[in-house]
Parts: sequence; structure tokens; C-alpha cells
Amino acid sequence: MVEFRKGQKAKLSDLTPGTDLYVGLRLDAPGLTFDISCFGLDANDRLSDDRYFVFFNQPKSPEESIQLLGAQAGDQESFRVTLDRVPPQIGKLAFTATIDGNGQMSQVGSGYIRIAVGGQEVLRYAFTGAEFSTERAIMIADIYRKEPAVWRVAAVGQGFDGGLQALLENFGGEALEDEPAAPPQQQAPSFAPPPAAPQPPAPSFQQPPAPQFQQQPPAPNFGPPPGAPQQDQFQPIAVQGAQQGMGMQPPPGQFQQPGMPPPQGMPMGMPPQGQMAPPVPQQGMPMGMPPQQGMPPQGMPGQFPGQPGMPPQQGMPPQGMPMGQPGAPMGADQTYQYGLTQFAEVQGGQRWTQQNTKMVKALVSRSGAKVIARSGSMVAYQGKVEFKRTTQGSAQGQSRLQAWGTNRLTGQTMELMRCEGDGEVFFAEDAGYLHVVELGGQRLCVNAQNLLAWDDGLQLEPRRIEGQGIPGGGLFVQTVSGNGTCIVKTLGTPMVLPVNPGAPTFADSNAIVAWTDGMQVSTSTAVRVRRTAYPGHSGETVSLQFRGMQGHFIVVQPYEV
Amino acid sequence: MDQQMIAAYGQTAPTARMQAHGNKICRVAMQQGYDLFAKQGSMIAYTGFITFNPWRDSRGQRARGAITGEKVELMQCTGQGDLYLADYGADVVMLQLNGEALSVNGANILAFDAQLTKSIESIPGLAAKFSGNGMFNIKLEGTGWVAITTQGTPVVLNPGERETYVDPDALVAWSSGLRVKTKSSMRAMNLIGRGSGEAMQVAFTGSGYVVVQPSEDSTDRFHIRG
Repeated sequence: MVEFRKGQKAKLSDLTPGTDLYVGLRLDAPGLTFDISCFGLDANDRLSDDRYFVFFNQPKSPEESIQLLGAQAGDQESFRVTLDRVPPQIGKLAFTATIDGNGQMSQVGSGYIRIAVGGQEVLRYAFTGAEFSTERAIMIADIYRKEPAVWRVAAVGQGFDGGLQALLENFGGEALEDEPAAPPQQQAPSFAPPPAAPQPPAPSFQQPPAPQFQQQPPAPNFGPPPGAPQQDQFQPIAVQGAQQGMGMQPPPGQFQQPGMPPPQGMPMGMPPQGQMAPPVPQQGMPMGMPPQQGMPPQGMPGQFPGQPGMPPQQGMPPQGMPMGQPGAPMGADQTYQYGLTQFAEVQGGQRWTQQNTKMVKALVSRSGAKVIARSGSMVAYQGKVEFKRTTQGSAQGQSRLQAWGTNRLTGQTMELMRCEGDGEVFFAEDAGYLHVVELGGQRLCVNAQNLLAWDDGLQLEPRRIEGQGIPGGGLFVQTVSGNGTCIVKTLGTPMVLPVNPGAPTFADSNAIVAWTDGMQVSTSTAVRVRRTAYPGHSGETVSLQFRGMQGHFIVVQPYEV
Repeated sequence: MDQQMIAAYGQTAPTARMQAHGNKICRVAMQQGYDLFAKQGSMIAYTGFITFNPWRDSRGQRARGAITGEKVELMQCTGQGDLYLADYGADVVMLQLNGEALSVNGANILAFDAQLTKSIESIPGLAAKFSGNGMFNIKLEGTGWVAITTQGTPVVLNPGERETYVDPDALVAWSSGLRVKTKSSMRAMNLIGRGSGEAMQVAFTGSGYVVVQPSEDSTDRFHIRG
């Protein structure tokens, strides 16, 4: 990590080979709030295209090379910048902050901008309010280019006196008229200028092509840096955060699995497809974290009706009525806004992209990215995708009579289909919560009913756990392993229980979703729970008993099938 | 009684014709002269003076319903006050039509302004195969508010990007003007969609939007009521 001083410049390729950047900003000033935005300026430092003014009301540029992600990992505002996709006419990305309301920049206690790639912070430029006086805006840093593919970074740290209008006129933009009509938690947009003078170029050499999506390592993948204290640390299941804020999530520490082996925190250890990027842009993952899901109430791109520059598909007209705030702030529950823009498809070049808590999009391509899914889990697809029925054995590309046999034995079938071709497939089932699980080489046992889809190439091994009283006579479990992603469905917000070495952990066989492989699992009727479920119910259920070493955990859903 | 707990769920001042209360309740500010059509049985509460009358349309309407084996029972709500609607815990999405048209799966309609023109339309090629399966649509056109229900948070797709295929059971609504047809991806051994024989999707092309719900349970929740 390089500490930048004001005015310092460097070639980005000297800092990192990656071009998928996480940019986080923070300004600490008591009583002040800031609007942090990113301007995509042309070669003349003009905002020639309003759509490249990325701020809360326009959270991404048209081709999504610049995305606003919201507050995370200790940053007040964060962006994802995919430099490879920034169109050639955009020559500079200027990151700016303006004060929302009254105040001046000298009140700022401290602030920083940082750039992280693959979860590693590569650059940080910190500043204090002492460098400023009565300015109301500050141009913090630029990412710019001289040659088409050579990007540079400059720590600018320039204050700016004028108001928004002055700034906008300064580079030829037009004031957006609807700016203040934003939801309450959002701030008014900020318009701060690019630096007056173009930055002198740093010494340059050709930047190595940094592969991104769907390629092998070199370039670290996208992800905010570590140090997000609120993030849960367990691996590999991404069960947290799937709720719409029902307040049911266990405290952070609860997921901590100190004994869990690798994938934690090694961006390089990610699956080859490199689907590290957070599917839902407003949330990030500290490195190695499985993507978080959820449609948090705030900061969701596309959530605000009438935002400029949205593609037409969100088609609902500008709201005629005061489009103001949705009715009641329902405690922690999320309230939908009007219209459909809030539900717009979450674009993303990753292999798996969470659309909302209950739907996941998978990319399939002719180049070999295929997906195996349970039959019936596809709700929609775009493009030319073919679905071929497959069996578990053939799904693994090998003739596994044994797998067939096991299926027969359990009396449960798992109808699978292989999705291939070129397009996007949307998976969902029964409005259950979907969790994108990065296996990262680990093995996970998943109740077959809860396994929805996975990368072709993962190894699956059916298992059966027998026990009197289990519906169907046994629990049909798939052991998933390999490098890739699988989608686990839970009905309701799941809970992750660590398994302590000392005492066994019990779970209802009807509620168990998944557990880490390697534990000793046995059925137990020692725990009897009287239930008055329905007439004819035996009044007792079978529990599964888990014993394991430190680091193992089980996942339970609040729903008994 | 300590009202701290429930205070957060209290009424709020209306700011629009339709408003979300949470994401599963639709609250409609009723006014004289602005009637509302709502799914029968969806009223959960109201304040003020509102009357509900079962709505009987022309004969053609009922005939159509009989053919498709399905009809949405609507009620006409008239009066002044606040009306709260919900449909078995389904998510409610409110939107405003501004002269354009929207086609909503009959099972997913919750309420709409009476001044919208409505017509029943069926999907060519689907109606016959899915007769009795709720696969008919109400087309709403004009200027006014519409509330639709979805099982789970929906996703809006744009067929303008690429041709889009949707499982009929997950299909909620789409903007009129899209080209709609059915596509069978059934091959000898192919099984997609739920169960067997459902290897069929609705294909959309053109510019507009399609609302998809994350559940393939489109059966009319009315049936549970019986």
C-alpha cells in the first residue's frame, strides 16, 4: 500500500496490475454530511456526457464501468471502477466531495480516499481540514489517462469555492433539476470540478493486460479491502445479510470461524471464474467473502424513480404524484418505492449476480461457462440458452452409475438440467432466499432440497442420512466440493451455528440446510420436542447431531419442511 | 399499554394515491369520484366511508373468464378514506401508468384505478395449453395507479437487451408493445420449468420491461381461501 501526499501522481500499473478498482472515501466532520461523487470527464475536462456523472441519483454509468456502491467497509462512499470498460471518450474520473448544507471544508477533521484491488488496499491519500478554509467542495483525487490504456492516479486535494451551479458551468454540465427529490437517507448531488490543469503524465510503459472476469489469477478481483468490522467472517456460506433487515442476523462475531481453512482472505484462491465481485453493487465483500446478498433499503442502484440516465426498460413514467417517500418506515423492514426502477435487473459481468435476496442470475457462455441447476428453478433467461436434462452422474461429466444408484436408493430424484449456450439465466424457487456460496475448494454438505444451482465442474456426491422419523426415510444430502459457486436456497433467514469441539450441536432434520464436511453426523432421538403440528404427527422429530472440530458450522433455516 | 413497540407501524399521512405500508400492504387514499377496482377479499382494513361492490362486467368479460377457466373477481371500491389492501403476504408493487399500457397476470393484480381501461387478453399459444392455470392477463391502459402482487421481490428485465424468456409461472407483468410468443424448448428428454410438460416459456422481444417474480407459484391464492 502506498501513502500518497497531496499532488502526488503515479501510474496505476505501478501500484497494481488490476483494473477492477474499489475506491472508498471518507470524510469525518462533526455535523456535516458530504455528497461524494465521481465525474467522468472527457479529454478536455468537460462533463460532455451527463451520464458519466455518477452520484447517488445516478449510481452507475451507462455501461457500468463506474458504479456507486454506497457506504461499506468503513468508507462513507465507495465506487467500483472497471477501467477496462471505461469508454475511450472518458479521459478522467474525478472523485469529489461537496458539503451538503452549511459548512466549510476547514471543519473536516480528517478524510481519505483509498483504492483497493482484490481486497488489498493499494493506495491511500489522507488529508485533513487544515489544508482548506472556506471551500465548500473538494476535488480529492483523479484517475486519468493519457494514452488509451495507461491509467494514472493523482492525489489532488483541491478545495473549490463555488457552488454547484458554478461548478457545473465550469465544465459544461447542466444542473439537474430534480436533484433534491431524493429519499431521505440520500444526499443532494454534488458537483465539483475537475482540476483545472491536466496532470502531467507520469512515466509510462504499457500496462500489462490485466485479465478480469473469467480468467485465471493475475489480476486480483474486485472487492473492498479488509477491515470491515461489520462483516461476518465465516466461510464459505454467505448466509448472512439475506434478509431485508429483519433484525434476525446473529451478531457479527457469531460467524467467526477461526479454524476454517483457507479461502478466507485470499483473493487469488478464488474460483477460476473469478466471480468475486459483489453481485449486488451496494454491498461489498471484504476479500474472500462470498458475495453478500440482500436488497438493503438504501443505496440500491436503480431504486429511485425518475433518476436520470436510466435505461428505458424501467419504463415507468416519472411519477406525477409527489414521489416522495414511501408510506411508513416499517421499522427495519424494507419498504418498496413506487414504480419498477427499483427492481431493475442488477447488471454485472460476474458469473453469478444476485438480483435480490430471492433471485440470482448466472451467466453462461459458449466458452464453457455452464451451469447445472435443479429442474424448475429457472424463472427466466435472456439470450440463447439451452436446457438439457441431465442426471447427476452425467452432470459431472463422468458416467457414474453409482450416483444413479444412490438416487434410486434414497428414493429421491434430483432432476437436473444443464444450462449452456450464451446468455443469462435467472434462478429462483418458491421465493426462498438464495445465497451465493463460494466454495473455494472446500466441501460443503447441502440438503438436496436446498441446493438450487451450481457451476458445471463442481463435484457432487450424494449421500443419505438415515433415521427413523425423517420424512422420506432419510435425508438426501449432496456433498459439494471444488472450485466454484453453488446457490443454496433457504426458506427464511438462516442461522449459522458454530460447532464447538466440546459439545455436540443438534439440529432438526427438517430445518437443516447445510454443514461443513468432515463432521461426525448422527441422528438422535434423544432430543424430543413435543409439537402439536398436526393430527397424526408423531409429536417428536429426529435431530441430527453434529460433532466436529473447531471451525465447523451448520446452517439452519427457520422453516421445517 | 406500552405503545412503543407498535408505534412504528402506525398510520402515516398519505402523500400519494397509492402507498406502500411495509412492502406487503398497499394503502390507497380513496376519494369520491375516483373509484378503485381491487381484488375481492384483498381489503384488510379501511378508514372513512368506503363501499365495496362486486364488479360485474359485461357478458364478454365473464365469457372470457369462463373460457380461460379463470377470472379475477374484482370489487369496485367507492368512497372517501384510506383503504388497505394485501394479498396473503405477497409483495406489493405500486406503479403509475402515464398513458401507456401494462399487461398483468390475472393472479397478480391487486388493485387499479377505475379510470384505466381494462381488457382481458390471452397469450397466443398459451391460453389453450394453460387453460385453467391462470394464464390470462388483464391489460390496463391509461393514466392512473396500479398495484400488483408478486411472490417475493421481483426483478425487472428488459427484452431490449436480449430476447427474454420467462417461465409462465414466474411471469407477473409486462409492458404492452413487446412482441410476445410462446417458445417450447421441449426436446425429447428435456424438462425445464416445474414438473413435466412445462418446457415452455413466454418469449419477449422488443423494448419494454418484463416483471418476473422469484417463485413459480402463480396459482391464485384465492383458492386457498376456500
